[in-house]
Amino acid sequence: MGKRQQIKRKLFQYSLIPPRKWRPYAIVLVAAIFGLGLYLIRLSNAASYLSDDPQACVNCHIMTPQYITWTHSSHREVAHCNDCHVPHNNIANKYFFKAKDGLYHASIFTLRAEPQVIKALGPSIEVIQNNCIRCHEDQVTDAKLIGLVENHYPHRTDRICWECHREVPHGKIRSLAAVGHQIEPIQAHAPPDLEIIPKWLKESMQKSKQ
Amino acid sequence: MKNWILFGLTAVIVFLLAMLAYSIMERKTEARFAYQPKVQIEGIEPRDSVWGLNYPRQYQSYMKTQDTTFSSMYNTSGFKDVLADQPELVILWAGYAFSKDYNQPRGHAYAITDLQNSIRIGSPKEPGDGVMPSTCWTCKSPDVPRLMSEMGVTEYYSTKLSSLGSEVINPIGCADCHNPQTMNLTITRPALIEAFEAMGKDINQASHQEMRSLVCAQCHVEYYFDKTKPGKENAQYLTLPWKGGLSVEAMETYYDNIDFADWVHPISKARMIKAQHPDYEVFEMGVHAKRGVSCADCHMPYKNEGGQKFTDHHIGSPLSNVENSCFVCHREKQADLMTDVYDRQRKIKEGTSSLQKQLAMAHIEAGKAWELGATEEQMTEILTGIRHAQWRWDFVVASHGGAFHAPLESSRIVTSAMGTIQESRIHLARLLASLGHYKPVEMPDFNDKGALQAYIGLDMDKERADKAKFLDQVVPQWLKEGKAREAKKEVKVISSN
Repeated sequence: MGKRQQIKRKLFQYSLIPPRKWRPYAIVLVAAIFGLGLYLIRLSNAASYLSDDPQACVNCHIMTPQYITWTHSSHREVAHCNDCHVPHNNIANKYFFKAKDGLYHASIFTLRAEPQVIKALGPSIEVIQNNCIRCHEDQVTDAKLIGLVENHYPHRTDRICWECHREVPHGKIRSLAAVGHQIEPIQAHAPPDLEIIPKWLKESMQKSKQ
Repeated sequence: MKNWILFGLTAVIVFLLAMLAYSIMERKTEARFAYQPKVQIEGIEPRDSVWGLNYPRQYQSYMKTQDTTFSSMYNTSGFKDVLADQPELVILWAGYAFSKDYNQPRGHAYAITDLQNSIRIGSPKEPGDGVMPSTCWTCKSPDVPRLMSEMGVTEYYSTKLSSLGSEVINPIGCADCHNPQTMNLTITRPALIEAFEAMGKDINQASHQEMRSLVCAQCHVEYYFDKTKPGKENAQYLTLPWKGGLSVEAMETYYDNIDFADWVHPISKARMIKAQHPDYEVFEMGVHAKRGVSCADCHMPYKNEGGQKFTDHHIGSPLSNVENSCFVCHREKQADLMTDVYDRQRKIKEGTSSLQKQLAMAHIEAGKAWELGATEEQMTEILTGIRHAQWRWDFVVASHGGAFHAPLESSRIVTSAMGTIQESRIHLARLLASLGHYKPVEMPDFNDKGALQAYIGLDMDKERADKAKFLDQVVPQWLKEGKAREAKKEVKVISSN
């Protein structure tokens, strides 16, 4: 007996398949739910969450302070949200963590239970810390320092980076009320087609060359 | 019964999904009210006040370039008459408009006003009057890229300054350096792009950090007006002489090869080159450039206001803001850092001050030689010497902040110019002797600007009277027409927040 048959049997057993005369109505209703679901995916711009684009993180406007502070930080040019906030040990874990965190954020946001100041929770702290080390490994595991500085190993392992580097990268002040309202649409991670010369000037220069 | 339960559950699910959809829509609307820009910036918007609605902090800090209170050891953000301070410059620039009027530059906000006020541009009465080409406006206003896109670049370069008086009314601003859609840095002046092409480089490859200098290099560079561009003979085409490189020698060779002269000196008859302001070029020769520092790092450091970090658009001397500019890298006493800067400036100025007096004397001695019947052949080498020495001197003094940006390069250039001019003066002394003149040549009083201007034949009273009339009658008319034109352009409001 195939798997399909088995499911069908179960459905009939619990009378989850409506009688024949009800079926058209049931199909319409199920299709309505399906359609509404699709509409929700579009409305919430859900596909963007699969990307690494920092703009996806401000789909939800309470992340604006985090976005604005990051666009004014030195990390803007080298790291975007996902570089620090999701694990990078393997791709499955990356998307699992992203989905877990994202659904939690979405739920809290929908329930209007968001705090004025967003803070990283335990699992997130671990991920961020590992990501600091991922890029800055050479700075924190310098063999000379281990030899020269007393307690270097415990000092770099018994605390998190931003216990000292407090302004990296979001600054010290980043509540919903404290940061400007205007998202400056700076395309930080220069897309490959970034144009330095405006279109009108490019066209004019091409024309004059001919 | 089971069917009814199923029906009920489905209804509940649909109800909840609809609520979720409503919630998403609601919060999206919220974001629109809280985080949307106020106005839509369309096309090339030359009015900073419109951009300022969207970017109030950057706008307000930029407006502080109107502040003229800061003074350093030699320079100021306010008004200072350089010719009164160093009158011998009148002789150096005789026959060229700089001998009439030369003041220290004020902040970006005064770009238009100070150009209109300058006696250098003359006092045209009607559109099309006067000698100054429209090219003179190029660095003064975001109206320029607007005009270039409307008229065409060559056409823009092909008219008179006075013809565009009512078109160019906004001083240097947002649209000169920013793309209104992305706010990314952008290059709006073709000369810089063409100079990169001439050097075989592609400006599109510039990194963000390089762009933080290159937007400044659209204007803060040495340039000349090319009147011989093939197919564009009517244009005074703004060109940077960078083909052979950015050094003073490379540009000198470039100008010699095309036999270019900004003007012919009326006393010495030397074919002169006026260095404009090779700020970017000289900076590139210095240690800060080598370390990857950009213009904006010191001249537009980050600033915090109410906990919000943004780029301070109050562009000016870092010496007025040592804490935010120098302290980022140099953890030293402010007084020590200032002394370091002033030391460099004073030491370079020692050289340029003595050099410019030598140059002035050389012009007058050459004039005497012509008077006593020197031949072209005898004078050629001497005049080339004067041309090169004054060009090199100008390269150093005209470069804003050059003495600090690249002290070693500046002092090298001064030394080379000093050698050249002394050689020329030795030749002149011999030539004068051979013509029967054994005494020192009689010099005018180098300490009196007015007397020197009369000496080179300027009627400054008339120039000043014309200027007063121009400022009283022509300029208000330009502004009135310009404002009326701008009032017709609607500003599209998208959020009332």
